[in-house]
Amino acid sequence: MNDKDKLKDLIITNFLAIAAGLILSGLMLMLLHINPFTVFGDALHTMFTDKYTMGDVLLKATPLIFTALAFAFTFKANLFNIGAQGQFYMGAIVAIAASLKMDGVVPTPVLLLIVVVLTFVAGGLIGALIGFLKARYNANEFLVSMMSTYVVQALMNYLLRTFLLETKGEYPQTDAISREAWIPTLIPGTRLHWGFVLAVLVAVGVWILLYKTTLGYRIRAVGSNASASEKSGIKSKKVFVIAFFISGALAGMAGFTEINGVQHMLIQDFNTSIGSSGLGIAILANANPIGIIFASILFGALGVIGNLMGRMPGLNIPSSIVDLMQGFVMIFVIVSYFLRAWMANRREKRRLQKVVEK
Amino acid sequence: MQVPFFEIQGVSKYFAKVIANKDISFSIQKGEVLALLGENGAGKSTIMKILYGLYRADEGKILMDGKEVKITCPKDAMKLGISMIQQHFSLVPAHTVTENIILGNVKGRIDHKKCHEDMKKLADTYGFDVPVDAKVSELDVGVQQKVEILKALYLNARLLIMDEPTAVLTPQESETLMQFVKSYTEKGNSVVFITHKLKEVMEVADRIIVMRNGRVSGNLKKEDTNETELSRLMIGKDLVQPEKDSGPMGDKAKVCLKVEGLTIEKKGEAPLLRDISFNIREGEIFGIAGVSGNGQEELCEAITGSLKPTAGHISLNGEDITGLTVRERIGKGIGYVPVDRHRDGMVMPMTVAENMMLKESFGSKWANHGFIDKKKLNACTQKAIEDYQIKAPGPDARAGGLSGGNQQKVILAREVSVGSELLILNQPTRGLDLGAINNIHTVVLEERKAGKSILLVSTELSEIFEMCDRIAVMYKGSFMGIYRSEELNTEKIGLLMAGYAQEKEAAGNE
Repeated sequence: MNDKDKLKDLIITNFLAIAAGLILSGLMLMLLHINPFTVFGDALHTMFTDKYTMGDVLLKATPLIFTALAFAFTFKANLFNIGAQGQFYMGAIVAIAASLKMDGVVPTPVLLLIVVVLTFVAGGLIGALIGFLKARYNANEFLVSMMSTYVVQALMNYLLRTFLLETKGEYPQTDAISREAWIPTLIPGTRLHWGFVLAVLVAVGVWILLYKTTLGYRIRAVGSNASASEKSGIKSKKVFVIAFFISGALAGMAGFTEINGVQHMLIQDFNTSIGSSGLGIAILANANPIGIIFASILFGALGVIGNLMGRMPGLNIPSSIVDLMQGFVMIFVIVSYFLRAWMANRREKRRLQKVVEK
Repeated sequence: MQVPFFEIQGVSKYFAKVIANKDISFSIQKGEVLALLGENGAGKSTIMKILYGLYRADEGKILMDGKEVKITCPKDAMKLGISMIQQHFSLVPAHTVTENIILGNVKGRIDHKKCHEDMKKLADTYGFDVPVDAKVSELDVGVQQKVEILKALYLNARLLIMDEPTAVLTPQESETLMQFVKSYTEKGNSVVFITHKLKEVMEVADRIIVMRNGRVSGNLKKEDTNETELSRLMIGKDLVQPEKDSGPMGDKAKVCLKVEGLTIEKKGEAPLLRDISFNIREGEIFGIAGVSGNGQEELCEAITGSLKPTAGHISLNGEDITGLTVRERIGKGIGYVPVDRHRDGMVMPMTVAENMMLKESFGSKWANHGFIDKKKLNACTQKAIEDYQIKAPGPDARAGGLSGGNQQKVILAREVSVGSELLILNQPTRGLDLGAINNIHTVVLEERKAGKSILLVSTELSEIFEMCDRIAVMYKGSFMGIYRSEELNTEKIGLLMAGYAQEKEAAGNE
């Protein structure tokens, strides 16, 4: 079976999985006595015809690309970073703090450049710490990364009540940054900003790093076979730390695009699910950086469709329909992964049997 | 003619991508030792796993005493009196021998005392010297195998299938096993002996089924055949043994590797390596014989740098390399073919080309400013594929998709290029078929001719005798002596492998 067949299989099964997910979501709507066809039709129609809504799809996809890349990157080294949420928070804290400090002091491009570097490093350091604990003390990176999210979240809540508290001092949130510190809009008339372009470029960069450089090569080698890599003079522990630094840094950058691009301030319970969504997207895209771009856009679209449906007058569609749709699609995509393997296996067997009988 | 005990009729089994068995038919008589001979991947184990119920046949049927039987799981097989001893034993290391034997065959409350006595009786019946209350993890492999056999006997097995049973045994232990097989079959039981060693077949079998590429290529009585015919049936062609000359420089050659007093010892544990000293000259193959697990792997890893010795020195071409890292030693020209290629030698999900650069991902050999030079890498890989006759679709083929022999050739190609000074080979032909073994031996002898120093660890005595200039026998982390290859014979080496020291005729090691 060649790669072309495989790609064809991948596209067909993924498409079917998405369709199946939507159909099942539709059935759920029918249980609420809502005609799914008109609702989906309306939502899709709005999405594809309204520039603003379309822009929102990509806007929502932006941070997901980063967190998905974060998970995918360590996944290639056979490590699990499920703390993207915390690394994203760290990035967000640093982004808002730095932006507030420099707001109006330095010109916009300089400010944005400094902030993006700072968020990268901030997320990266959290990641590197996890990697270090893994390498030095053989701590379980799965648990450590998961718990790190709660630590960072607690830190964020603390800062929101103290150093970063708004001037009014009313709610646990920061002041808003001025337009000077915003990421410029990409398409006028939408909320879509240049952060999306950055995300796509970073995804391509990650792909190049993983598949075209010797560092990426070593990360993949250690991930697939740490023992053989060690015997080949590659220090797997060092690779753990590097991989986790980059992974955390990628998640940290989502903090930049969300603060400077969308929210313009930091509030409590900020974007609580982009870490877990990123994880799902990475699995959906089989941890391929380029696939992640498309999978993130799909999830952005599902989110937007769900929101549109929730806002439809007189229907009372619960907003949790978003999670439902994303969940169903995810389940079917994962099932399709096994289905593909089984199909390929069976086809080979059939082919072989035929060859023999001739 | 009597009705055969078991009969396999037209059985076929397909796996994705390979035909494991096609139209296999043969019978097993009562009281017979049947050898199933064939190269790796010929389908010997598969057909026996079908008989034992581990695999389901896609076509064909199995008859017992002339009646068709359905065997869908090992439990069915056991009920019919079939037992199989896998290549990798299925024992629980933390349990005692008795507990292992009764595993799965007792219900409710266990009468330990009775079980215990049963085991003793059983072991005595067959003259097995097995400590029935010892933990399996404390036993030697040879004894563990006896436990496996006892397990089968406990279930009243009348057909015993043994998959490569001698692979882990010393010559003496093999001898004991053969005696057991004879006495067992004299009682009317049958044995199927899966192997790829011709010598064993001629020694133990009554009848021989030869398999090649998933089919039966020969069904012969031992009296009517010989090793040459069997080898031809097995491989499908005649093999030309590589010629070994006297070596380019002999005793006057420069010493390349020098190991002095190498010891690895953790506190409170038996030493893994005990005061090992030897040297290898340029153009010399230094062999290490011994049952696997006696420190050979540790010795190799101490030389390649992944294990730190607690005492002793290693030097290469006069330079002390004891303190260097793995990477630095690779840079000095040490190539290493590890014993477990899946674990230590290859990254299976990666391509052949990517595996070719595994040892040298640092530096500029394969890279430009950190970017992989794909063109150069592919060109070199393509050349290796041609030079070493690796059966691979191309440099971008997944390494894990190649057969074992071809994977080993990829590793060998890489290590020959890395190891410009010293080549360490730890059981390089383990589990490979004769064709691939032949290929690898030819390459190693060519490298010897080119003046490289070669350290060859092997458990196959024929390989040791055929290839090596000098031989050391390893037992429990120590050398039992270093000999010129002509000073040893199978019996002598067997005793040394089992740890019986004899008068050392100090030779070779000045």
